[in-house]
This record gives sequence, structure tokens and C-alpha cells, in this order.
Amino acid sequence: MEPPAIEITGLTKRYGVGDAAVDALKGVEMVIHPGEVVGLIGPSGSGKSTLLKCLGAVIEPTSGRMVLAGETIYDNGWKVADLRALRRDRIGFVFQAPYLISFLDVTDNVALLPMLAGVANGKARERATAMLAALDVGHRAAAQVPQLSGGEQQRVSIARALVNEPPIILADEPTAPLDSERALTVIRILNEMAQRFRTAIIVVTHDEKIIPTFKRIYHIRDGRTYEEAGEGRAA
Amino acid sequence: MINLASRDILHGWGKFVFTGVGLGLLIGVTLSMAGIYRGLVDDGKALLAIGGADLWAVQRDTLGPYAEPSSVRDDAYRSLLGIPGVAEAGNVTYLTMQVQHQGGEVRVMLVGFEPGHPGEPGYLVAGRPITRSHYEAIADVRTGLRLNERIRIRRHEYTVVGLTRRMVSSGGDPMIFVPLKDAQEVQFLKDNDALVNERARTAANPVFNRPGVPGLLEAVQAGQASSHNVNVVLLRLTPHADESVVAGQIRRWKHLEAYTRADMDEILVAKLIATSARQIFMFLVILAAVSAAIVAFIIYTMTLNKVREIAVLKLIGASNRTIAGMILQQALALGVIGFIVGRVVAGLWAPIFPKFVLLLPGDTLRGALLVMVICALASVVAIRAALRVDPAAAIGG
Repeated sequence: MEPPAIEITGLTKRYGVGDAAVDALKGVEMVIHPGEVVGLIGPSGSGKSTLLKCLGAVIEPTSGRMVLAGETIYDNGWKVADLRALRRDRIGFVFQAPYLISFLDVTDNVALLPMLAGVANGKARERATAMLAALDVGHRAAAQVPQLSGGEQQRVSIARALVNEPPIILADEPTAPLDSERALTVIRILNEMAQRFRTAIIVVTHDEKIIPTFKRIYHIRDGRTYEEAGEGRAA
Repeated sequence: MINLASRDILHGWGKFVFTGVGLGLLIGVTLSMAGIYRGLVDDGKALLAIGGADLWAVQRDTLGPYAEPSSVRDDAYRSLLGIPGVAEAGNVTYLTMQVQHQGGEVRVMLVGFEPGHPGEPGYLVAGRPITRSHYEAIADVRTGLRLNERIRIRRHEYTVVGLTRRMVSSGGDPMIFVPLKDAQEVQFLKDNDALVNERARTAANPVFNRPGVPGLLEAVQAGQASSHNVNVVLLRLTPHADESVVAGQIRRWKHLEAYTRADMDEILVAKLIATSARQIFMFLVILAAVSAAIVAFIIYTMTLNKVREIAVLKLIGASNRTIAGMILQQALALGVIGFIVGRVVAGLWAPIFPKFVLLLPGDTLRGALLVMVICALASVVAIRAALRVDPAAAIGG
């Protein structure tokens, strides 16, 4: 059986020390399989961003265990020496705003990731072009970032997240700046890509429009996760 | 790998180039200051080269004739010619003065020399050498004088018969060469009122005005109205003569000071222009510091404007080296633009300066290296700021 793409056990994160200490995560449990698109929902201050940062290997949890794509990366301490390479090769990021590099054109924004991984320029651009085409923005490959619409920019940022074919994508409110139609399009694209590349995708969102589209949802409240799943959820 | 620095520069090239031009003007000023210092040194060396002398015989215990006043009897050259190793000797006077020209004034160094002897201008760019004993002049082109132009110096008018170039004093004042006798009169002769007063005073002195000694008073008065002093005797040595040995002989037997070319170099560079050189060096240090501060500020601001992008780059796996390299390359590119602009403008405005500005290729190379080092150092602050950017900043919350 295929191992879970993300497996988190008893994950905690404490900020500060002594009386000023704040427990942002208090034993998070989460299992996400390859090809799944899972929603992560919670009010402000519930720990969503902290969990995303722990999963993205940009902050260190205080305790617990994280297994990504079958490899233990954290078990009461980092088990991977090169977190930068981990982020580059195994995790894709989609942000609330596209955060494209403004001084690079569309192709180079996407090709930058494989280039950072050591792929030759020509090959990296080929992969970027193919990924942009798959996301229906191939015709804007030579455009500069400011020339793109918001929806196009978000598609480019998804292409950038997918171009190294990481097993995991972390999407932080990717539909927040988009209207309903575009928001649903982005979720459709994420679902298609998850199926196509067997990528596990966590979508942090407040967006009521897209919540019904998730087959599984994790609610996070006061640093703890609660899974909502079942037959009744929309496909 | 994409060159992030060049892409960022091209993305906002107008602002970047404009900033580089601004920096370039500052670098141009810095290069000009270095050029002014080199010009001072070169003026000094040109001054030494003018007379074609190997030794300068001056008044004892002075650093004359350029750094201190010096007065030597004009017949001293005869005895100097008798010293073994001395081939030629020439009396020369120097006097810095204001000369009326076309309704304005020109500050010049008036040089009195004996044609055919050490001390005459090395070459002419127009006209002819002085052939008459009086009232002819050769002028440096920077005086603004033209051939056949007449110029009044003290009581007499002189005709410019020749023009020369790069004949300047250590202070950069252009030279006017006139016959020695004329120059002695200009330098040492008193004005008419002073002469009348002097004659009256002498006539009132019973020592000089003795009824029993006819002609004594007239002889004394004639002596007071003429001058037989020069500032220096320039000496050329025979081919194999040892200049330090000849200089020693002059000091020992002739009661004069004698300086070799190396000695005069030392006097001119280390003593005469030392204060100016220190002044210019201080300006150079300040300008270098200001340039560094400007580059640091510009690069730091550019980096702060990219904080979000740097966070994203770090989040998606860009190494610190990639990010530091981007900032360093931008700082160096700014330096390259600034240096090219600075060198061009320094070359363009150098001729406008009243003093000689000498831009040496070696100084240009050293300047380029210094600018690059300053830019690299100036980028350190921005690099530190960029490396402190938390990749988590790209993720909300």
C-alpha cells in the first residue's frame, strides 16, 4: 500500500518561554494520502499558519513527529540535514497572493525551481513551459508578471509549486483574492494536478465558496486538529 | 541558472542607471581630485624638466629657488663652471606676479634666462626663440597670450615671439620667459620714487658724498640702481660626472647650496606640495566614504524593496549564496556604471579646471578596483539584511 504523503503525530509548537509561552499547536494529528486535496480550516489564531510553517520546514516544531512521503523529517528534532533542499524538492508552496518574482518573466518564474535544484536551464524551461501549458497559461509564457491577471498569476504560482513534481503542496489561502468563478477554477486545477501527479495538497482557507469541494477537511482550533470527513462531503 | 541580479537590474533599469549616473558624478569628482594631485606632482616635475638642469646652485641654507627665496650673485656661474664635471651654467630668475592682459589679470611666473644656456624653455609650439637682448618674451599657451601680442610687465612692453606648452610653476601658474637682464630689472629694480629717495639718502650721507672724492657718489648711486642677483644657477654636467660629488664640491668650496634632481623632486613633492597633497587625500577619503555610504544606502533600499521576493526565494529553496550573490552583483554593477560614468565625466571636465588635472591609467585602474571594493563592502549591510529575512515571512499569519 502507498504510504501517506503526510503523517503527523502529536505535533506541538510553543512560542516563547515561561509565563510568556504560547502553545500554538497542542498535539496535531494528521494523515494525508497521495492525490488527496484536504482543506485546513480554522479561525484566526487557531494555529493554521504555524502548522503550515512546520510542514513547510521553515519553523521547528517543539515536539512530535512528521513523516513526509515516507521519510521521517522530524521526530523531536529535525531528521533531515538540508531543510532548504527538502523545501525545494519535496514541497510546493502556493500563497494567498501569488508572490511571483516581479523581475522574472512567467517562464523563468516557474523554471527557477528546477534550476535551483540543479536542472540545466534549457531542460528547466522545457519543464516550465509544459507545466504552464498544463495550467492553461502557456500562451502567457513570455509575459512579465504585472501583465497577468490575478487568476493567471495564481495559475503561474501553482505551476511553480508543481514544476518539481513535489509529493506535497501547501496552499495558504490560494483563492482569497479571487472571485467565486476563479476560486473554483483554482480548486479544480489543484484537484486535477493532485490526481495527475499524485500530489498531496493541503489548502488552508476561510473561503466558504470552496469548502464544500473538499472530500476531507481538518478543522484546527486552539492548536488541535479535528477531522471532518464522510460520505456526505462533496466530490 | 538565471542571473537574478541582471534580471532585477533590467526590470528597473531606468532607476538603476540613473542611480549609477549619480554615483558616477561623485566618482568623477573623486577621480578629478586624484587627477589634481597628480597634476600638482606633474607640474613640479615639469618645472624641473624645463631648464634641462642636472644641478641647482642656490643661496646657502635655503630650499630655493622654488620652495624658498634664494639670491645668488650673477657672476657665481663663472666659478661654478670651473668645477670639474660642470659642462654648462645658466643664471635664472623666477618671479610670480600678476600681468595685465586684455583688461584682466593673469597670474604668471616670470622666468629670466640666458638664451643658449640652461634655463631656457625646452621647446616651442609656435613662433621663434628670443633673439634680442630685451623686450621679447616666450609665453606658455595657458597665459592666453598670442604670437606678436604685446604685454606690459612693470615699466616695459614685451612682444610675445614664441609660445610653449606645459611650462608652469609648481603652483600651476603658466610661465613667461624673458631675457635675464629684463627679469632682473623686474625683480630687483626699485620704482622711480624709491630710487629718488635712495639717491637723496645716499647724497646726504657724508661717507659717500665727499667733496674730496669726485665720482664716488655717482658710483654708489649707480650701484644702487642695478641688480646683479639671480635666484639660481642651473648647471648641466658632463656625461659621466657624479652629480652628488659635484654638488658636494659646490657646497664645500663655493658657499652655495646645490641640489640634485632627486633632491629637488623631494623638495617639490614632499615639502612644497605636501600640504596640498594631504588636503586632497583627505577629500579623497571623505569622497570614498560618501560613495560607500551612498552605494550601501541604495543597495540596502533595493534589498528592502525585495524582502517578500527574497522570502519566497528562500522558501522555495534558493541558497543564501544565491541571494547574497544577487545583491553583491547588483552592487558591483552599480559600481561599474558609476565608474564608467565617473571616468568619462572626469575626462570631460578636466580641461575646464584652472590647474592641470592628470588622469593616469594606473590611477584609473586603482580607482576601478577601489570602487569595486567599496561597492562589495557596501553590499555587506544589504546582504546581512537579506540573509536575516525569514522564509516563513512568505507564508501568512
